Amino acid sequence: MKQAVYGLAGPVKKYGPLVLLGIFLLLPLLITKTYILGLLCRVLMYATLAGSLNVINGYSGQMCIGHAGFFCIGSYVEAILATRFGISFWLLLPLAGAVAALMGLMVALPTLKMRGVYLAIITLGFSEIIRLIALNWTEVTGGAMGIKNIPVPQLGGLEFSNARTYYYIFLGVAALFLFVTRRVVRSRIGRAWMSIREDQLAARSLGVNTPAYKAVNFMYGAFWAGIVGAAYAPYARFIDSTIYSLDEGFNILSMVIVGGSGTLMGPLAGSVVINALTELLRPIGQWRMVAYGVLIIVMMWFRPQGLIGASDSVLAGRDIKAKKQKAKEDAK
Amino acid sequence: MKKLLSLLLVFSLALTLFTACSTPASSGAGSGSAAASGNIKVGVLAPLTGTNAEFGKGFEVAMTMAMEEINAAGGINGRMLELVFQDSKGDAKESSDLCRQYVDNEEIVAILGDFTSTACMADAPIVKEAEMAILSPTASNPAFTEMNDCTFGIIGKQDADSRYYARYVLQEYAGVDNVGIIYIESDWGNAAVSNFVDEAQKIGLNIVETASYVQDEKDFSSIITKMKAANLDHIAIMDQGATSQIINQIRASGWDVSLSTNGPGTSQQLIDLCGENCEGLLLTTPFFFDPESEKEMAWRDEFTSRAGFAPTVHSVNAYDCALLIAEAIRQCGDDVSRKNVRDKLAAIEFSGGLTGQIQFDETGSLDRRYIICEIVDGEYVKRAGFDYPEQVAAGK
Repeated sequence: MKQAVYGLAGPVKKYGPLVLLGIFLLLPLLITKTYILGLLCRVLMYATLAGSLNVINGYSGQMCIGHAGFFCIGSYVEAILATRFGISFWLLLPLAGAVAALMGLMVALPTLKMRGVYLAIITLGFSEIIRLIALNWTEVTGGAMGIKNIPVPQLGGLEFSNARTYYYIFLGVAALFLFVTRRVVRSRIGRAWMSIREDQLAARSLGVNTPAYKAVNFMYGAFWAGIVGAAYAPYARFIDSTIYSLDEGFNILSMVIVGGSGTLMGPLAGSVVINALTELLRPIGQWRMVAYGVLIIVMMWFRPQGLIGASDSVLAGRDIKAKKQKAKEDAK
Repeated sequence: MKKLLSLLLVFSLALTLFTACSTPASSGAGSGSAAASGNIKVGVLAPLTGTNAEFGKGFEVAMTMAMEEINAAGGINGRMLELVFQDSKGDAKESSDLCRQYVDNEEIVAILGDFTSTACMADAPIVKEAEMAILSPTASNPAFTEMNDCTFGIIGKQDADSRYYARYVLQEYAGVDNVGIIYIESDWGNAAVSNFVDEAQKIGLNIVETASYVQDEKDFSSIITKMKAANLDHIAIMDQGATSQIINQIRASGWDVSLSTNGPGTSQQLIDLCGENCEGLLLTTPFFFDPESEKEMAWRDEFTSRAGFAPTVHSVNAYDCALLIAEAIRQCGDDVSRKNVRDKLAAIEFSGGLTGQIQFDETGSLDRRYIICEIVDGEYVKRAGFDYPEQVAAGK
């Protein structure tokens, strides 16, 4: 039985992603409710956002909790340039990512020697600074009035003006993110990140240029958050600083924690679970937040690496690693 | 193995997402004929949890009161009104998801809410696709009602508010010559000030100093020092939240300059927080619970006993919005379609609520009328009624 199940693993791994992508491509044709499509858009958007945070928190073991800041930068770059200069959405998408990556570098450089909670606090402050700049730099960002009438993306004759069509943009971004990130984390860069996560000193002594890799890591995470931000702005058509609060940062973080850090599918699972719970728990009203809190505590207790987190990393905690080690030895 | 279990869990949750959410919606889709005879449903978006939960609660209580009144009086053309409440948390993304849910549910003929302008503006393109009206009791960003022909707001245009404030409260009523302005940096504050300045230039009111602050600021001493240095005889405060703190700090600095405000309306909280410091404070409000009106006092008592706090102008607006949408639906007669409700709402003339005459302009907003109140012995006293502009014009 077990053998039969594991025998499936090969083909599933090989063709699974393609089949999944096919299913996702067909979904808007099968689903008539725009509400469900709106939800799917949210799931895909947060999957990419959480995924990009996971690159920082999960793969290199740095602690960023101000991811909403990068998200905010991406949105504002897109919104400002699209409304003022009429630049195409498709050009702005990578540009917004690049600007966010640049900001990521600026956060990473002074904090290269910081770890854990100290770095976390700095990213927290950074996120608030970005939000306050968006709120107060009225000439550029529209201040509290926000930016309205953000033009919707167009491709050929197609206008991406509602959840049904916009779904494909979020899907495209998510698929591209997973595809590229899968390759990056398996390359020399990804292995360097993981070695930093497991033991920075050991990585350093093995010749890994830790400051450079940590900076690149931050930039990579920020880049994708910026892209998602740029994709979100025309979807909402109106943005202002209240969208990018610290709550948003924690929301993204909770998806990484619940889904599992250090794996590609973890944040996707986290996004599905958190967004599904948001809808399913709606009837219990204000107890919803309590349920979230309990969920995170329970997760930390029983599965600190998340639903499908990497159980062989430091993130998994000592107990799980010890058990795994023991199981290996028993097998021998 | 655990990993496999977790994956299964994720999948089952994802599946429930589809099934659980689509069942009620699809039952609504297939019952087009049932909708014609059953209850008339209106969706409400309100921040029932989160930082604005208090206002969301106000929405819920006030609108429920309106719904019960309407249904007790026989409903709308013989059919009962049913308000469907959903919690948007005041979050733009959740609000637009719920908005789509209402759009999908063909029984819903219109939407009331949301509380914040940001959430309302995120919903605007979604309702436009369905040609369904969204009527917000509180969205103050003037851009909201201008977004398309399905967006309506009854908070009133800020230009009317601050123009009335400059001309009638300060110049005509209080006889002020040199005024200093303290205002909050927000969509509301910026619009209020720019209109105030514009009107002041027209009528020859001197603005000698302006100072602003951002949300959540607690210490206003530098602003007060700046004001003291200017040669002014009155300070106008434009804010909804920090007014009481500013008044207290001005008085604590030993300055007895005359004050007025156009932000908070007649809130009991202001008097509770300021005590003697706010004696003589002048303010404009689009609504005032007149102690002599039995109907208004009864409404206030009923609201207070249900909600556990006194109604603010937001809750009164929410109440009027529910009455307003019911009136629009009543005017539709047998053809209660989304588009028809929208058209009837756009053309409505209504004065059966608590906040006076309501008639939308072409953008879906309206010019409110205001009254002037003063705080005397810890209570609001009405100094000039809705017809004050006419009185002034007649006096000249």
